[in-house]
Order: sequence, then structure tokens, then C-alpha cells
Amino acid sequence: MGLLATSTGSAPKRTLSAAALALVLGSLAVGVASRADADPKLLPPQEAFRFSARALDDRTLEARFAVTDGYYLYRDKMRFALDPDMTDIAVTLPPGKVKEDQFFGKVETYRGEVVVRVPLAQAPGKSVVLVADSQGCADAGVCYPATRQKVTLALPEAGKGPGPLVDAYPRKKNWFN
Amino acid sequence: MTPKLRWTLVGVAAVAALAAGVYFGMERAGTPASPAQAGAALAGLALPDPAGKEQRLDQWRGKVVVVNFWATWCAPCREEMPEFIKAQQQHGAQGLQFVGIAVDQADKVEQFAKEIGLNYPTLIGGFGAMELSKSLGNKLMALPFTVVLDRKGEIVHTQLGELKPAKLQSIITQLL
Repeated sequence: MGLLATSTGSAPKRTLSAAALALVLGSLAVGVASRADADPKLLPPQEAFRFSARALDDRTLEARFAVTDGYYLYRDKMRFALDPDMTDIAVTLPPGKVKEDQFFGKVETYRGEVVVRVPLAQAPGKSVVLVADSQGCADAGVCYPATRQKVTLALPEAGKGPGPLVDAYPRKKNWFN
Repeated sequence: MTPKLRWTLVGVAAVAALAAGVYFGMERAGTPASPAQAGAALAGLALPDPAGKEQRLDQWRGKVVVVNFWATWCAPCREEMPEFIKAQQQHGAQGLQFVGIAVDQADKVEQFAKEIGLNYPTLIGGFGAMELSKSLGNKLMALPFTVVLDRKGEIVHTQLGELKPAKLQSIITQLL
């Protein structure tokens, strides 16, 4: 039976056809309501720039950004702090790929994985909330505003560690994994 | 089941499917408003220009208005702006008006505007402006994001990412 069979058939058949029509109407409405043009299937920034961290020892954290293929982060927009203190922590960022920018001059960007050691100044207690600010773009031709991500890390006792890697944005379970 | 009851059930199913379609469609596009309502929200917006003076978007009502959300830190935004400058120059007299909304610092915006010879106003928008763009369909609040309004102030096109010159041309030709 065709999806849009006409109403000349028997009664049950007609019911099915009408139900099919209702479904078609429903999906048409989906199309009408989504006016935003050509969304090139962009990931939200937390997924494009996956942030995770672990405690290497009681005085050192290790922050990681896993940058999805087709996306990049700006080196000079990366900041780390502890919540609630929120003072920028001085870190040594790895060198990025240098890009000549017409307006800003030399700009360094990261792709793939970025690993940064974050030193803790004073004994911060049993756990810390590491806050990472980052800003990046997609090769598809859009940029995201600065994005803040957080992880809570339990600190190992002095002389022990490292602790487990903690994701800021846990991977969603879907039908395929 | 009587035929009457059957058709009633079918009717209920149709309405439910339609409602679900509208609901999920809206959720996907993030646009609960009609083009007229969304246009009105945009027109009612007042934002400071780089000199700090408040500017209302409805001062350009009656023109074909192209609102472009951008930032100096967004390379793809900067790349498409020379095309906007050209279009403003070519069609300004016919009633085309570009308006930028920069999600940025005023000094950087002024410096960049001077550098590329920007021939249309650009206002400074903060997080509120990004939230507004979200309600217009920019659910990831990414840049550039461009909204075209007709002379009545109704939204006729929204674009995330580059608004290609050919597309821009075809839209404004129809509206001017």
C-alpha cells in the first residue's frame, strides 16, 4: 500500500491511510518550524572541545582538551582557575600551530589533544573544582563564544596519585554504544 | 468500532502528530515565535554603539535590514564583512541597511571597523544579544549569525555561518 493511498479502499485501509497522512503532516510541521538555515550539524562547544582533568599528585593537576576533528581552539584564550577563588593560574601552555591573522597578527591554535599541567599554589584540601575557559571555532566557518567547563577532582594524599581522569561533559549513551 | 469513532480517533492522532511535529521542530530550531514576533523582539532591541550611545533597531524599520552578529575574534565573521560593505554600498540607496551586533569590546570593534572601512553601523551586544540570537534559531550561540528582515520587519531568513554572496544577492533582490 502506498503511503498516501486514497480513501477508496475498505474501512481499515482508510484508517491506516489517514494515520499515515497524520504522520506526514507531523513531519511536515517539523520542517516548517525549523527556519534556521543550513545548520551544518555543529557540535555544542562542550562536545567539540571535550575537557577532562586528573590530579597527578596533591599539588599538580593535569588538564586536557580533546579537540574534535574539524574544530580548533585559540591558545591565548585558554584560562584555568579554581572555583571559588577564580584567580587565573599561571600555566605553561604547549606551543600551538601558528596562523597569520589579518587583524591579530600571529595567532596560535590547537587541534587534537592539548595537555596542560596546572600547579596548585597552596595546599587546597581534599578536593578542588578546576575551571577551564576556552574559545574556538569550527572549520565549517563558525566560532563559539568563550566556554566555561568545570571538573571536581579529589586530591590524592601526598606521595600518592595520580587520580582518575574526570570528564567535564560525560559522553551521552546512545543506541550505538 | 463505528466509522464515526474511528475517524474521531484518526483526527485525534493527526492533531497529536501535528502538535508533536511543531513542538519538536521548534525545539530543534529554538524558535518559538512566529517570524513577526521574532522580528518584533529584534526591532525592540536597544544596544550601545561603540561610542556608548543607545541605538534602537527599529530606527531602520521600513528598510530591508540585515542584522549580522559577529566579533573581531571570529575569523569567519571578518571574512564575510567585505561582501556586506559592498552590498551596502550598492543597494543602500534602494533601502538596504546592514546593522552589525558585535559580541565584543567596543575598542576592538572600532579599530576593526576603521581598518576595513565599515560603512554601516555596528552595535555592541553582550550575552543578552547572544540569547536573542538563540531565540531566533542560533541555538549554539555561534558566530557569524545573520538575520534578514523585510520592510515590514518580519524575519525572512536566518543564517548560521557565512551568508554566501549569491544567496545574499538573491534574498535582497526579492525584497528591495
